[in-house]
Amino acid sequence: MNWFHRHRGLTPYLLLAPGVVFLAVFFLVPLGFLAYQSLESGNFDIGFSFTWSWSNYWDALHNYKAQFIRSLEYAGIATALALVISYPVAYWIAFRGGRWKNLLLLFIVAPFFVTYLIRTLAWETILSDNGFVVNTLQSLHVLGPSGRLLATSTAVVTGITYNFLPFMALPLYVSLEQIDERLIEAAEDLYASKLQAFLRVTFPLSLPGVVAGTLLTFIPAAGDFINAQLLGSTNNHMIGNVIQSKFLESTDYPAAAAMSFILMAGILVAVFLYARLVGTEQLTGTAA
Amino acid sequence: MSAVAVERAGPNVLAKVWAFVKHHILTAYSILFFVYLLLPIAVVVVFSFNNPPGKFNYTWNAFTWDNWIHWDAVPGIRSSIVLSLQIALLASLIATALGTLIALALVRYGFRGRATTNILIFLPLSTPEIVLGASLLTLFLNLNVIFGFWTILIAHIMFCISFAVVTVKARLVGFDRHLEEAAMDLGANEWTTFRKVTLPLIAPAILAALLLCFAISIDDFVVTYFNSGPEVTFPLFVWGAARIGAPPQVNVIGTAIFVIAVTLMLINVVVQMRREKRGLA
Amino acid sequence: MTDELTRRQLLERAAMGGAAITFPGILAACGSSGSKASEGTTSVEQKLAKTLNFSNWTLYMDTKGKTFPSLEAFQKKTGVHVNYVEDINDNASFFAKIQGPLSRGQSIDRDIVVLTDNDRYLSLMIKKGWAEKLDKSAIPNIKNLVDVQKHPNFDPNRDYSLPWQSGMTGIAYNDTLTDPVLSVDDLLEGPKLKGKITVLNSMGDAMTLVMLSNGDDPTKVTDKTWNAAYSRIKKAVDNKQIRQFTGNDYAPILARGDLMAAMSWSGDIAQLGNKHIHWNVPEAGGALWTDNMLIPKGGNVYTASVYMNYVYDPKVQGLMEAGDPKRKIKGIYYIPPVKGAGEAAKQYDPAVAKNTLIFPTASMLSKVKIFDSKALNNQKYLEQWGNLVSG
Repeated sequence: MNWFHRHRGLTPYLLLAPGVVFLAVFFLVPLGFLAYQSLESGNFDIGFSFTWSWSNYWDALHNYKAQFIRSLEYAGIATALALVISYPVAYWIAFRGGRWKNLLLLFIVAPFFVTYLIRTLAWETILSDNGFVVNTLQSLHVLGPSGRLLATSTAVVTGITYNFLPFMALPLYVSLEQIDERLIEAAEDLYASKLQAFLRVTFPLSLPGVVAGTLLTFIPAAGDFINAQLLGSTNNHMIGNVIQSKFLESTDYPAAAAMSFILMAGILVAVFLYARLVGTEQLTGTAA
Repeated sequence: MSAVAVERAGPNVLAKVWAFVKHHILTAYSILFFVYLLLPIAVVVVFSFNNPPGKFNYTWNAFTWDNWIHWDAVPGIRSSIVLSLQIALLASLIATALGTLIALALVRYGFRGRATTNILIFLPLSTPEIVLGASLLTLFLNLNVIFGFWTILIAHIMFCISFAVVTVKARLVGFDRHLEEAAMDLGANEWTTFRKVTLPLIAPAILAALLLCFAISIDDFVVTYFNSGPEVTFPLFVWGAARIGAPPQVNVIGTAIFVIAVTLMLINVVVQMRREKRGLA
Repeated sequence: MTDELTRRQLLERAAMGGAAITFPGILAACGSSGSKASEGTTSVEQKLAKTLNFSNWTLYMDTKGKTFPSLEAFQKKTGVHVNYVEDINDNASFFAKIQGPLSRGQSIDRDIVVLTDNDRYLSLMIKKGWAEKLDKSAIPNIKNLVDVQKHPNFDPNRDYSLPWQSGMTGIAYNDTLTDPVLSVDDLLEGPKLKGKITVLNSMGDAMTLVMLSNGDDPTKVTDKTWNAAYSRIKKAVDNKQIRQFTGNDYAPILARGDLMAAMSWSGDIAQLGNKHIHWNVPEAGGALWTDNMLIPKGGNVYTASVYMNYVYDPKVQGLMEAGDPKRKIKGIYYIPPVKGAGEAAKQYDPAVAKNTLIFPTASMLSKVKIFDSKALNNQKYLEQWGNLVSG
């Protein structure tokens, strides 16, 4: 232990080393290759060559602006929905779950055991034009008489929300479960109402979980393509669909790469603004 | 006196009803949430008992136990789910371990490169799967590796680490250091403190990270597709079979995994209850 | 030619600026000495390998329980074990996976792969030189190839590819929801079908049907015919006639009644097992697509050729195609490319032998066309189509 004491400053680096080295090799190097590809030009027939082709970026931004914005939009709405839907449940599990906590957490991730395609197929059956849900909504006049849920932006956003619920719920739970109930009791002893106790004590203490859940939902959702492909119509496509198409069908690898980096930049900007909103310590964690 | 007594009883009953509703509304909502969450699973389970009219299992035809008895009847389905489970287990364990270490470093130490490391963690999350998978494929090709179990495992660990880091961080950010300080004041060294104080307190976060990584890994398609070589995982199998109609056995397997996992958790709960009883007795 | 970065190129880039030397470049220059594909074998060694690595689409082979009878019979006859992997479910993604090693001159450890001719990748493989020439001396049965498949425009002399199975693209409709939808006109412009139809996202399929409906020739695409067909589909998109562009995922939507009609593939509809859903070749004509066997660079040409010869025996093909209920063998149920298979099938499963979706009549075959493979690789068309379908 003495060695560790003497080399205290090394500790963070030692802790980081395994994971960061792994990511450096298996993520950063591929990312480097992707960056290289994004500046290539040519086409698949004659081959690609590196020409510092910044026009790939400009063209991508220019031609697919709508899809970029739509992606951030859909992801944002889905994240907000996921937060609102999951928070009460995370709270309930954390404070009332008792010995059933782990089982309930398992239920939250259970849908993932059936593979995406099968559970989406099940949802399509439930939300079918002639199904119970649509008929009910039609009789309640929420939907027009020939209205439908599938192949709409609603279906896409709902699909994204549903599939990312665990990414929001689990971090929320993790943070809420840590809160000492005696703090809430103390607040109530000091004449706070239940609502005030929640707003002034519980919610702020759960903020790290809110931030974590938001990041784990919004960031991957922005790059999603499969929900839009199966549940959306032609005008609901996200930038993920365009990247998919450019990569697979057009074999236009530079375009796909450039678009990916623009998406990443857009996401980082959104995250940066979000960090400003909630305070960076929540995002990066306070140092000891 | 009776008129006054009745008046007083009125608001009391209302207040009691309101208190009941308020107390249980959270439970009611949570039940609704789980109904919503597990609705497609219910459909999947139902259709696992379907005898499909043709090759497609899309419309209900007739009840049969056949699919459950002959769950193994479709060539390739058993090896694909075994592979997926192996990968998911290993990947979630390793990714959570690596991720926990990184989270500890990020939250508790100020060091140079902290901001960069944070960005490094967010980047894999923001990279679209198809370019992520394809670029990793390129790396593997350049390194001349053989594609199969190990390339899939490496890929899964790679994209799971970020999820583990962010999840565990959520717990560490609000962590009360006083408990650790107290332990050390009482003579524990750093390793013992970590083992006996810190680890148990962040255990829920580690479990949550494990569950999350497991779920992501067992469901991944795009990145796996590019880096699997000749191996077929369960999502790859389903995707391929869906072209001609995913057989009901796919539903059977999904249901089975769910049931087995729930059973294991239930056993865990029962064991805990027994332990508590013995502890009190 | 297949290596992307030669030493000369690496030095050229170094001259352009240090930043141009990237990790991948260095790795590529240092690393790959992997199983290099033979640089075009001049004479094929006529020796059978022990194993044949065959990648195919799912459920595209005759089955008996969990085994593949025709592959077992092949092993008994030649001693070659077929390592059969069903890892192709989409041309684009499979190609994206194999183009990596192939573009580096590495072998993909496959002797036979199967790609569709109305998607660009089959012709692309041949054009890029990533396909080995067949050893025709080992395939005398090639004479049994049906005439319509003898000279496709992507492989005029059948030097590199041989059909595996074919299918047709047409229109399916649900008779409980709509009157018969028998033409592309009905599909794209019928007002009662608004929002209740889907079109295939594959250029080769959709464009063939629309061009035929326009009276144009899809086997020789010009800018004019392309634009006419494209704008017609685009109009149907803009006025919300088309609900979605789909791959094979139209089947569940059709099955549960959310669609009145769909552009669809012949095989799928038979499999739905729903007697209210009917499939037809459209009035103006439909598309014929064929999945072709190809030997990727580095594959064992002789062994692969021997296998191809085996499946081109009409008796073998007839059994594979129709199956045999007496021996519990389930057939492939697509359209075989081998002359005489239909006759042979009669002795195995006469009911299947009569099914015109599997053994189409001559008049049906005259109404289906193969899309112009040059148009499939036209960058301008590709981009336009991509924007329409997934933009």
